[in-house]
Amino acid sequence: MAGGAKSRSSGGPAPPSKTLVLDNGGSTIKAGFVAAGDNADKKPRVIPNCLARDRHKKTYVASELDKCKDFSEIDFRRPVEKGFIVNWEAQKEIWDREFFYDKALQKCDPASTRLVLAEQPNSLPALQSHCDQIVFEEFGFASYYRGVGPAFNAYHDIQGIFRTPRAPNTPVNFPAEIILLIDSGFSHTTVTPILQGRPLHQAIRRLDVGGKLLTNYLTRLISVRHFDMRSEPYIVNEMKETACYVSLDFKGDLEKTWKGTRGERRQDYLTGSAGIAKDYVLPDSHTRFHGVVRDYEPSVSARARKGVVVSTEDILTLRNERFVVPELLFHPSDIGIRQPGLAALVMQSLSVLPEGLWPGLLANIVVVGGNALFDGFVQRLQTELLELVPDACTVRVARPEDPIVSTWLGATNFAKHVHADRLAVTKQEYEENGAGWVARKFAAGLGVDT
Amino acid sequence: MNNFGVIEVASTKTKNAPGWAYVPDIGPSPAAAALQPTNRKRAVRNQTALSLSDVSARQDTKVRKDLEALDRDIHRDANIPIPPKPGAGRAQNKHTPNVRKILQSQKTFANHLDDYQALLTLAETNPAAAAALANAAPTKPAVPSTSARNSPAPTASGGGGGGSSGGGGGGSKRSAALAKRAALVTAKEQKEAAAAKKAAKVKSEPVFEAEHNTTSGNNDGGDVEMTDAPPTSGPGEGAAEVASKTTPSGSATPTAAAVSSGSSEPQLQPVLPPPPETWYQADGSMLPAYKRKPPVAHPGDNDPLLVSSRVPRFPTDDELCALMTAPPLSYLEARAGWGDEEGRYPVRTFCEVCGYWGRVRCLKCGARACALDCLQTHKEECFTRYGL
Repeated sequence: MAGGAKSRSSGGPAPPSKTLVLDNGGSTIKAGFVAAGDNADKKPRVIPNCLARDRHKKTYVASELDKCKDFSEIDFRRPVEKGFIVNWEAQKEIWDREFFYDKALQKCDPASTRLVLAEQPNSLPALQSHCDQIVFEEFGFASYYRGVGPAFNAYHDIQGIFRTPRAPNTPVNFPAEIILLIDSGFSHTTVTPILQGRPLHQAIRRLDVGGKLLTNYLTRLISVRHFDMRSEPYIVNEMKETACYVSLDFKGDLEKTWKGTRGERRQDYLTGSAGIAKDYVLPDSHTRFHGVVRDYEPSVSARARKGVVVSTEDILTLRNERFVVPELLFHPSDIGIRQPGLAALVMQSLSVLPEGLWPGLLANIVVVGGNALFDGFVQRLQTELLELVPDACTVRVARPEDPIVSTWLGATNFAKHVHADRLAVTKQEYEENGAGWVARKFAAGLGVDT
Repeated sequence: MNNFGVIEVASTKTKNAPGWAYVPDIGPSPAAAALQPTNRKRAVRNQTALSLSDVSARQDTKVRKDLEALDRDIHRDANIPIPPKPGAGRAQNKHTPNVRKILQSQKTFANHLDDYQALLTLAETNPAAAAALANAAPTKPAVPSTSARNSPAPTASGGGGGGSSGGGGGGSKRSAALAKRAALVTAKEQKEAAAAKKAAKVKSEPVFEAEHNTTSGNNDGGDVEMTDAPPTSGPGEGAAEVASKTTPSGSATPTAAAVSSGSSEPQLQPVLPPPPETWYQADGSMLPAYKRKPPVAHPGDNDPLLVSSRVPRFPTDDELCALMTAPPLSYLEARAGWGDEEGRYPVRTFCEVCGYWGRVRCLKCGARACALDCLQTHKEECFTRYGL
């Protein structure tokens, strides 16, 4: 429909000037408006994408969660499952409250707004068609594009992220020529090679390890070794975000944190495993509502164990839990998931592509998503990849400044780009041609005409 | 074979209910034997030890249950109803039938995935039925009755609407728009391909040919000059390799330094460094050529013994075109599986108590522990689960 878009814009109504850009993630929604002219760097609002209920049976919807103070025993209901919007009853309620009610914080009138929605790759056709139907028939957006989320990251100044040396004031062309995007989010981790803003669909690969699984795994470890934390998903998640890191020397770190055989206590273990052991002070939901990481103090924990001092705070000593949990991204087989690790996942993706593209892809690996925030994630990926790729290839891995909103920022650049006008579908077109036509148009993407 | 029109759908997929696993029945099972002992004499002494399959089945079940638990959102099913609307919100308009159906659907992702698989299986075995089923799904939007243009609009026929990757029989009739688009694309493709071919022929065919035949031997191009390798290798071997490693591969185009050492044969034509402007245009129009000056050629570049820095042939426009327009894979196809690489190394095992390497194994359930200390802790739990 490349030709059709042009002829329509001359005859039909002009495309709406305001665009609502949504990255509807499993854990948080990233939302914000883009007008045609503004060039200012904006930040999206990050909204929890869930209904939550605390232990006093009070229900919070989406951004109301900010008002919640006491996160103990909180329950969540999430409309997004495995990265895809499944439960529209809950999702509609959240969107209603955030964007369409009179008192909504980001109120907009769908009839004069374009929606750019990021979705995870390889969705099910039924879910995609549900989404299209809701967007047009329930909300009535004037114009709409649903695109593969990782591909929006191509509309960034990629070489700026890598700090490639270049002449100042070099014009940045969108989309970037070639990148290999790794999106490690709440639900899963995907590898997407992108050429000129077009995802190479045959090479997209998914690893079913995401932030949620890591949190659940940490919950299990703590419940076995310390307290039962199974009803505290929020607290454990916070612990994961603040205390976990990706080990660059897994064997060595594991050795340092071992307590020793029966009767023996190794010196490393007693002195805090060379800085690996940390004390995590749990929130007591009276004075402290967020956990705190402290350096390990052998004397304190020893006395607490003997019951000499009755401590007022609950302290949990994290040792190998700190690096064993994110290790799952690189070795899913550790807990019996029969899938390759992240580096091997990249190689699986590359193996279906012609070798001529490898140098370009490997030299431009961008990591986005919440898991990219783990310390050492980028370095570890780079080291592991260097072991796998041909010798002559340069491997560069970089993480944008804020990996969580990176897809959203890319999507705003996309919304200002000509590609948006070419790809978007108007409400009128939907009514004329039907949901199947819209789905096919979105699946076809940009095509090849540059 | 007229099975009353019933077509059997053979499936290799088995559903495992939580807590159950199907185990091959080899030999007398101790569990069954304990229930109905044939010989009551010396029953305790005659008890067979747990066979290997029993232990591994227990372990498999445990791993699977653990993974299922990890995959869930929270450990218990929270049914949080949607709270009432705050004040007088947006005027509650009537939902269209499609929307009402979607909103009321309580399907989970697993349900949707099973539906999709069932549709695929049906499409393989019985395309007609699949097409009928797909068409039955309401894909036509509710067009307002005021609109005058709803008579012969090209409606969607691919029910799920998943493009060409969707139900195989679903998209039998493409809409006119799509056909036009395809025609446009192919026309353009052909034009581009022709142009690219011409360009390649003019510019650098010999070099690309040579790289093509790195393994089969470079004897089809009679016009390529061959010279003997110089007897000694240059002093700057390592340096050349480094140089080729640090070429600006961000631009994704072969650079002169690396292309020059083209094939893995000891005999290699001396590649004359062509003028840079023409060199880079041979790549076609899909990815624009590297326009800036190439890095300075290293004297070791022409050394035929330095073959490690071969730059692979860059894909042609046609190949790129095919890659960029390929349809999306389905959800299950995109899931990465275990390849040959992963099977090469043994799976790491960890102590179930403290997380150190799992060096010893519990005889009863096969769980791993690091040393006697943790094994003791584990045994206490093991007894409560499986008995003595």
